[in-house]
This record gives sequence, C-alpha cells and structure tokens, in this order.
Amino acid sequence: MRQAGVWGLAWKRFRRDRLGFTSLIVVLFYAALVLAAAAGWLARDWNTEAGVSFAPPSFLGPEAADSPQLAKAAEGAQPVADYGIPDPLAADLAEIAKSMTGGAAGQSRAPTLPLGGDKWGRDVLKKVVKGTETSLVVGLAAAVLATFLGTVFGALAGFRGGAVDDFFNWLYSVFTAIPYLLLVLAVAAVIGQKGVLTVILILGLTGWTGIFRLVRAEYLKHKVREYVLAADAIGASPARRMFVHILPNVSHVVLVQLSLHVVLFIKSEVILTFLGFGVGVDTVSWGSMLAEAGSELLLGKWWQLTVATVAMALLVTAFSLFTDAMRDALDPRLK
Amino acid sequence: MLAYTLRRLWQFVPTLAGVVLLVFFLFNWVGGDPAYLLAGKIPNPETIANIRKQLGVDEPYAVQLWIFVKQVLSGDFGVSWSTNERVSEIFASRLGPSLTVLVPLLAISTLLGMAAAMLVAYVRGSLTDRAVMVACTVGQSISILVYILVFQYLLAYQLGWFPVQGWGVTFIDNLLRYAVLAIIVGVAVSLAPDIRLYRTFFLDEINQDYVRTARAKGLSERRVMWVHVLRNAAIPIVTNVLLQLPGLLAGAFLIERFFGIPGIGREVILAVERSDFPIIKAVTVYVAVATMVINLLADLLYKAIDPRVVLK
Amino acid sequence: MRIAVLLLMLSSLIAQAAWGDSGTKILRVTFQVAETGFDPVRTHDYYSGTILEAIFDTLLTYDYLARPAKLVPNAAAMPEISDGGKTYTFRIRRGIYFTDDAAFKGAKRELTAQDFAYSIRRFYDPKNRSPYAFLFTGKVLGLDELAARAKSGAPFDYDTPVAGLQTPDRYTLVIRLKEPDRNFGYVLAFPVTGAVAREVIEAYGEEAAAHPIGSGPFVLKRYVRSSKIVLAANRGYRGMVWDFEPGDNPRHREIAKRMRGKRLPALDGVEVSIMEETQSRWLAFQRGETDIEYQLWEVAPTFMTDDGKLKPEFVRRGIQLDRTIDPEITYLYFNMQDKIGDAPNPVGGFAKERVALRRAIAMSYNIDDQIRIIRKGQAVRAHYPIPPGVAGHDANYRSSIPYDPRAANALLERYGYKKAADGYRRLPDGSPLVIRYASSQTERDRQFDELFKRGMDAIGIHLEIQKDRFPELLKLEKRCRLMLRHAAWIADWPDGDNFMQLLYGPNIYESNNACYRSAEFDRRYQKSLALADGPERDRLYHEMTRLMETDTVWLLADSRVRNSLQQPYVLGFTKHPVLHAEWLYLDLDPKPAY
Repeated sequence: MRQAGVWGLAWKRFRRDRLGFTSLIVVLFYAALVLAAAAGWLARDWNTEAGVSFAPPSFLGPEAADSPQLAKAAEGAQPVADYGIPDPLAADLAEIAKSMTGGAAGQSRAPTLPLGGDKWGRDVLKKVVKGTETSLVVGLAAAVLATFLGTVFGALAGFRGGAVDDFFNWLYSVFTAIPYLLLVLAVAAVIGQKGVLTVILILGLTGWTGIFRLVRAEYLKHKVREYVLAADAIGASPARRMFVHILPNVSHVVLVQLSLHVVLFIKSEVILTFLGFGVGVDTVSWGSMLAEAGSELLLGKWWQLTVATVAMALLVTAFSLFTDAMRDALDPRLK
Repeated sequence: MLAYTLRRLWQFVPTLAGVVLLVFFLFNWVGGDPAYLLAGKIPNPETIANIRKQLGVDEPYAVQLWIFVKQVLSGDFGVSWSTNERVSEIFASRLGPSLTVLVPLLAISTLLGMAAAMLVAYVRGSLTDRAVMVACTVGQSISILVYILVFQYLLAYQLGWFPVQGWGVTFIDNLLRYAVLAIIVGVAVSLAPDIRLYRTFFLDEINQDYVRTARAKGLSERRVMWVHVLRNAAIPIVTNVLLQLPGLLAGAFLIERFFGIPGIGREVILAVERSDFPIIKAVTVYVAVATMVINLLADLLYKAIDPRVVLK
Repeated sequence: MRIAVLLLMLSSLIAQAAWGDSGTKILRVTFQVAETGFDPVRTHDYYSGTILEAIFDTLLTYDYLARPAKLVPNAAAMPEISDGGKTYTFRIRRGIYFTDDAAFKGAKRELTAQDFAYSIRRFYDPKNRSPYAFLFTGKVLGLDELAARAKSGAPFDYDTPVAGLQTPDRYTLVIRLKEPDRNFGYVLAFPVTGAVAREVIEAYGEEAAAHPIGSGPFVLKRYVRSSKIVLAANRGYRGMVWDFEPGDNPRHREIAKRMRGKRLPALDGVEVSIMEETQSRWLAFQRGETDIEYQLWEVAPTFMTDDGKLKPEFVRRGIQLDRTIDPEITYLYFNMQDKIGDAPNPVGGFAKERVALRRAIAMSYNIDDQIRIIRKGQAVRAHYPIPPGVAGHDANYRSSIPYDPRAANALLERYGYKKAADGYRRLPDGSPLVIRYASSQTERDRQFDELFKRGMDAIGIHLEIQKDRFPELLKLEKRCRLMLRHAAWIADWPDGDNFMQLLYGPNIYESNNACYRSAEFDRRYQKSLALADGPERDRLYHEMTRLMETDTVWLLADSRVRNSLQQPYVLGFTKHPVLHAEWLYLDLDPKPAY
C-alpha cells in the first residue's frame, strides 16, 4: 500500500479548502500575467504616450475642455539676430533644415483609455500589468533572498551553537536595533543605482531577521531529536545533518515565512518607492503608480490610484489566503 | 533570574558596539557631506573647509569614533548640525507628540483587536470567522500610503470633521483635535494584522489542556473565554505591543509627515535629508538601547509568568 | 454648490473665531520646508530667512510695489556713495529700539550704527560658519585679516576697529570696500544682514538661533521647532505708514486704494505652520485654516483655467489670485570640462562634434511638455538668462535652440554618432556613449527624469540616471563631478549680474555649475561689471547669451509662475519678487468682502 507522504497529505487537505484553492488560482493567474508581461506579449508598450494627459477611463467619457491641457502659447518663429556671435553649427543646421521636408507626423492621442491615463498619457491598464510584473518579481526575489539568508544563518546558529550562534545573534541584534529607514538608506547608498536589483537587495539584505529567528528556534528543537542523533551515529557530517536531514523537516516553516515575506516586500516596495529608494524611471511598479497617484488625487484624477490599489489588494489578499491555507494544510494542529 | 539578567545586560555591550561601529562606518561612507548643504548658495572651498572644521568632521576617523563612543556613554550627542538645537532637547520635545499619537493608537487598536479576535476565536470555523479573516486580509493588502491619502482627503477635507493637519499647544487640544485623524488612520492600518495575530494567540490558548479541563469541570464557555483564555493570551499580546514600540516611534514618519505632527519619526526623516549626523547617531543609539531593554523585559516577564519557560 | 456654501460659512466662522471679538488679526500661513533657526549669520535656507525679515531690521529694504524691485531706506537712509563706489555712508534713523529682553538688564535698548557693524563682523567669524559670508568676504577693508587670524583657533576679534567698518558717531556707519561694487546696496537689504544686539548674542550663545531679539515689526512669541512659528506685532516698532506708488498694474492700484494711509504693521501677529505635503497645504487652505498659500504648483490645475485665470467657483468664493513670475530661471546644464574626475567627459569641451552632441541633446528636450505636464501650465518659457522683473531682462530675446528631435538625429548622424547594434549611438570613434544625468530621489525629480529620458530615447542615446540624495549631489556638483543636471537660480537681488555670474569662469566650484570657462564670455562679463543697467550692458549680455547658446552650455527651460491665493479677507497682498514675506504690508478685513 502506498502511503501518501507529508506533502501528499498536505495537498489533499489543501484542496479541500475552497477559499485557499481559489486563492491559488488567483495567484496562478497573476503569475501567468507576469510571465506574459516579462515575455513581452502583454503591455510591452506601456511607456508610450497613447492618450492625452490624464485621459479619463473610457466609461467616463472624454474630458471636457476645462482640463490641464495647455494651449501652446504661439511662440514666434525662429530668431533672430545672432548679435555678432556666429554659431559653429550654423551651416550644418541650415543644410539639415533644407533636407527635411514636411513636419513630423503628429501622433494622434486618444481622448480616453480603457482604465484611464496618467499625466504623460500612458495607459494605466498596461502600466498596471507591467507593474505587476515588477512588483511580483521584486517581492519574490527579495523574499527568496531573505529566506535564503535567514535559513542559512538560522541553521548555522541553531545547529552549531557556541561562538557561531553568538556571532549570528549579535548580527541579529545589531540589524534589528538600527532603525529601518537608516538601514535602507545605507544599503541603497552602498549598492548604487540599478533600479529593480537595488530594491531587491535592499529588501532582501534587511529582511532576513524574522526568518532567522524562527529557523534558529526550529534547529534548536530538532538538533536534539532522535533522528538527528541517529544520523550523527552513522557518521553524517554536520552539513549533511543540517541540510539533508533537518531542513526538510523545517521546510514547512520556511515555506510559510517565504510566502509571508513576499507579501511584506510587495508592500515595502511601495513605501520605498514613495521615499525615493525604489525602482528607476524606466520601470513601472505598483509603488511608482501609487507614488504618482498621491498628487493626482488632488487634481481629481483617481483612476491610477484605484487601479493600482485594487490590483495590489487582489494579489496580496489571494497570496495571504493561500499562505494561510498552505499553513493549515501543512500543520493542521494550528487550525 | 539575576544571573540571566546580568548576562543579558552584559551582552548589551557588544551589540551596542556593533551598532555604533555600523552607524559610524555607514554614515561616513554613505551618509553624505552636510558641509555643502550648510554652505548656502555660493560655497567656496574656504567656507566648506571651515564648516567641516566647526562640525568636527575634518578630524581623523579614529578621533571622531572616540568622540562618538564618549557621547554614547554620556548620553549627550551634542547639537544638531542644521539647527544648533541640543539633541537631547530635540528628543525630549518630540517624544511628547509621538506618544500622544502612539499610545492611544496602540491602546485602541489592541483593545479592539483583542475584542474582535476573541469573538472570532469564539466562533472559530464558522462563516463569520472566515468572513472576518478575509476582510482582514483585504484590509492588510492596501498600502498605508493609500489609507493616509484617502482618509485625509475624505475625513478632513470633504467632510471637514478634523483639521487637515497641524499641532496645537495644550495636551488636551492635541489629543482631542489634532491627533485624532492620525490615530484613526493608524488604527485602521493595524487592526487587520492585529486581529489575525491575536486570533492565533487565542486559538493557541483554546487548544490547551487546561481549557478542556475547565470545560469538563462545567464552567460556562463565557467564563472560560473571558477569565482563563483572555488572561493567558493577554501576555503575548501585551508583549507584542511593547516590542513594537521602539520601532514604531522612529517608524511612524509617514503619518507624522502627512499630518504635521512634530514627532520623532518626522525628525528622523528630516535628519536623514539634511545629513544631520548627531541626530541620526542619537536616534540609532536610543532605539537600539530601547529595543534591547524591552526585549529583556519581555523575556523576564515571560519567565515570571510561566516558570516552565527556560531562559538560556 | 452646497460644499461652497458650507465652506463659506465655515470660513466666516473661522474668520470670526480668529479675530472677530478679541480684535486680534492673526495671519495664518505655511512653510513647505522646515526652518532651521533664526540667527541671521547662521541661516542658509529661504524659510528661516523669511522670519529674519520679519524680526530684524536691515539697513535698506525694497519698495513694496515698485517693479522692477527698487531699494528704499529702512533702518537707514539711502547711502551716500563716494570714492568711486568704494565708500558707503549710512545714516541710521534715531528712535529705533530693540524689543525688551533680559540681556538688556531692564533698559530700553536703542539701535545704533555699532549694532550693524557688529552684525557685519559676525560674518567673518569662522565659528559662525556663515553660509552668506560670501556677501562680504573679500570686499570690506580689514576684516579678512581678522578672519585669517581667527582661523587658527583664536577667538574672533570683535573690538579692534577696522578701516572697513567705521562708526564715527552713534548713528553713522561707514563701510569701505576694496573694490568699487555697484550692487553692494542690495547686499544690505538681505534679511541675513539684519542688526542683532551684541548683548543678546553673548548672553544666549549657541541658543541665540532660537531666541532672536530684533528691532523689526514682529517678535517671536511662540516657537515649536519644525512645526509652528508664532509672531506677534512689535508694539514698540517705530511704525510706518503705507505709502507706495502703484504704477499701472490694476491689482496694485486696488491694493493702494485699500491700504493707503494705514499704520503698519496692521496685523497683530502671524502664525506659520510647517506643512511639507502639498495635499495638506491645499486642503488646509480650502478649509480656511490658512489665509495665504503660494506653494501650490502641483495642484494649480484645480483652481486655474488654461488661460491663467482663477476658476469661477473660486472667484465666487471671493478667493483672490495674485499671479507673478518668479525672478528665477531653470536650466539644464552640461559639464563643460574635458574630464569628470579621471574619466573623459563625453559632453565637455569645445570641439565641434562635442558642441553638436550638446546641441542635439538640447534640441531633443521638450520644454513645452515640461511646462505643460510637469509645471501644469504654470510657467513661461525662459529664453534669456535674466528673468522678468530683474534689471536687464529682455522680453524680445528668443533662444536659438529649437525643439527639433528630427534635426537633432540628423545632426548626430552627420557628426559620426552612429547607432550600434543595440540601438544606441556611439561616439564618433566607435566607443560606447553613455550620458549620466543626475537627480535626487524626490517624486518631483522623477518627473524630470521621465521627460529627459523621452528626449534621449528620441535621439537614441543611452541614458544613465544617477540618483543620489540632495546633499551628495550638491557636493559632487560643486566639484564638477556631474555630467548633466537640472538647476535653478532665483535672484538674490534684482539685477541681471546675479544671473550672468553663473557662467563666469572664476565662479567654477561656486555658482558656475557647468564649470564653464570661456575667455570670450569672461572678457565681456568683466566689461559688464563696470556698466549700469542700460543698452550698452544689454548688448554685452546679448552677446554673452549667444555664446552660451552657441557653445550650448545650458538649455534654458522656464521660469515658474507664482499663483498666490488669498482668502477674501486678506488685504494688500502681492508677491514681491525679492522680499520673502509681505507681512508688514498686509491687513485683514474683519468683514468678509463677499
């Protein structure tokens, strides 16, 4: 008779949880969106000025004349006297002007866009799709980094004990004692400006402390258990004991923490971008959309704020519910 | 207990040393040069050199570090580089407003959170339970930025129930007029995570043996919840709240900034923007010490309440 | 509509609450940046300077209504200038008193010439590390030597008489300069040159910045750092009567009609709140919690129509609009040096292909979009380095650098900046070309980043945005370590020289951000120093501007429009181009004007 392992049982329990299962579907949908965006099938042209500035959503109809579209002040034609100072490029520019015929084709700008446009006229729908990719990638990558660091540190500290434990505990105290803002500033300044990678590193390098504490506690518990002592008796090395024997048994804790931190980092990215440490100008994320939306609300342009908030809320809720369901499935006693 | 306490106190030293070194190193490497900021519109090299001399940053690193260490030991971090205010006075005066918002915020959100969590734990597994949990998750998924923007716009501006921002003179005025909106936003943001967390604390207790025993003894469910479970769950809850306090003090900067509350969080942001090292030094050290002390108190409290807990 | 009525009622209620029965007229305003302190010599920021203006007396000040701004007497009469412009003699008015303070030991303390001499000396004391020392250093006889002696650590000598600062009698101050300086009078209208009393500074020491005692129209009543500054009218002020000539401006005429003959200050006090967020400021003004608001660039479209008028619903509420152009220019500068640090600078130097690169970049930047989208329409294109309202401004001058990305592309092709396989242009010698543009980490700068990137993308140039915090950027900029950046300059005094000096070679590492050194430019600048404002100087300035354009050192962008909103009951307000605060000249009407 084949007995289902821990994971198999967990999966069975998970499937019975309707809410959790639905959440998983939602998360998978978002993941598919991210893959499509990353591959360039969706929202590749999010950065083009498709609509007029602050184009309203289609269901609201086009903006009345009374909007911040500036009629261009009719500037006089080209100057002018040269006041006796010759231009070294004068000849070149004259020839270029002669060789260019006709004006540039004016791009027509749409008066409305499906979910509205931002101040540059970029399509909010496309922005939010591309932004999902960025935010999700940031959240996941940072969470993986933080979890990796926290787990490795926690394993070493919990298992080895002694001076190693003291060192990591000291590192933990120092990291948690410094105010978060300062830590972020320091890491941001050290790394320089590479946009998405910087944010991932900032979040990952500062966010491992919670995971460390939990994993360390788990290792302390497990290292005196019989199966570990048995492994030691048959000559397994410390590294093997740590990562081949114990780690699978604490993996459910690690997995849940990973999940929680994905959510945490997605939300942190918003704050970081608002403070100016976030993604660069050629990237759109939920954080950048919300940061812009702050000043737009006062102008009565509410669509970017709403779309970004809803997209984020939907994913974060789904992810959180999925995490809960996963935790319940893996450790039913906690229910 | 005493030996444990002394050992923990002794461990403050290397931690504090680590913090001091890290902050010093980071600031000097990446903290930015305040001399240019203080030098005004047309700085010539002489002015810059003079400013750096007056601030003491032209000394060799070893000297500056030693000064820092002395400051940590004496608790006196000198004066702010941008305003010349004594750093200790800055903290003394900003602490009040920060606490005027934080204490009611924590009290209200904890009480409300506990009440909601207990109710939900009482009806665990039911549709109400699930619905509330989902609602909390949704609430938690909205960024604090959105809460601040929307609440300020709706409640202060559209409805006019509160001043848009600002701070008054008397404590009562501040508490009842200016701090209210900030407290409301803070409660709204913390309610969801609190309910979820406290629910797990309550459920932990409910699943304990003593509860089964109490029920077996014939105690009513109400009595079980209110007298036994609540009392035991209160400990981790209160500890959790206390542990958050130092971080919250320095971290409430968004709320303080939008609502114009002259608190510590806002001071931190200002100091970071102005590369005002004395304030940054002081905040870091104060928060570090506060965190360590509170952690120690929390651990001691646990030991005092539950003798089974083994403190290493 | 209902909201409008509600707000009307609310504002009148608040108006009555503010001053109705108690008879106190308190003006409520905001600063969008926190102040740092009120010791004149230590102040470096604009907002602290505003408070200085209200509390301390300077020798001279500006006429409230005259445009361009004109110097008029304040604590002293207009100076007698002699000795070819090297000697300034000021006669201080009698009967001006400092406000009472314990440091005066109970006596009434009159303002004397000695106080101004002392205040000027303080700029030279290294301990004060004054950011405005540049106003005086190198100019006044004898004081630089004293400063040099104090640099070694000896305390600064405040007592030994010096040739440059003499007080032959109690009310006469004679300043002797090393070189003739046409603009020295303007220096003495700077708020930081206000007179302080020696006893006060010595009594309060380092705390003097929180304890300002002046002889000006207002006193500091209550002070909560970075939060609230409350001023009260100085009951002992010598007083003045509102008496300015309005000229042609209809709004000024209105103001003159209402205010003429009033004794100033007419206000009983001013309450300043520090509000960093635009949303907070705008909502507060709309709810009648503040009386004047002119830091509202981001929300201008909510109350302004496209053609520069106030929207009808605000007009109905009686909100007043004062629309002025700030005496400032914003511009994009190129680092003109050959190297940045140790690396070669692709945009620097005077070789033709470098000029072509700079010109192409300048031609790809869409200033109209900057005005339309970033400034929300509230700016005017700056064609000339001297903005309106400043002596030397030429409203007819037109920039020779057009917005033409197509021509820019053609120009780059011509000069060998060919596109490589990755779509980005390379240098003529084939090596990669990366343009580094520096900006700070604010949301506002992010918008400029986006606009600049659009331009760079249109001409196929690889752009790298260098993000750093403001103090760091400042430092790098002053050391000529930045390749490109946006900059702005607001007039310190209303003379064009204040702007032209930004391109003067010897000012590299100080105000010359582009680190531009051109013998042709410098020659003309030196000649212009000897000239007063007039056609001869204008000719030189025209040539210098053309040099700036043909060398493409800068791309001039815009000057911002200042829309100042006031509640209906605020009287007499018009934004002065140089003065920071107009509080001395304002009044509040107890009966709402609508």
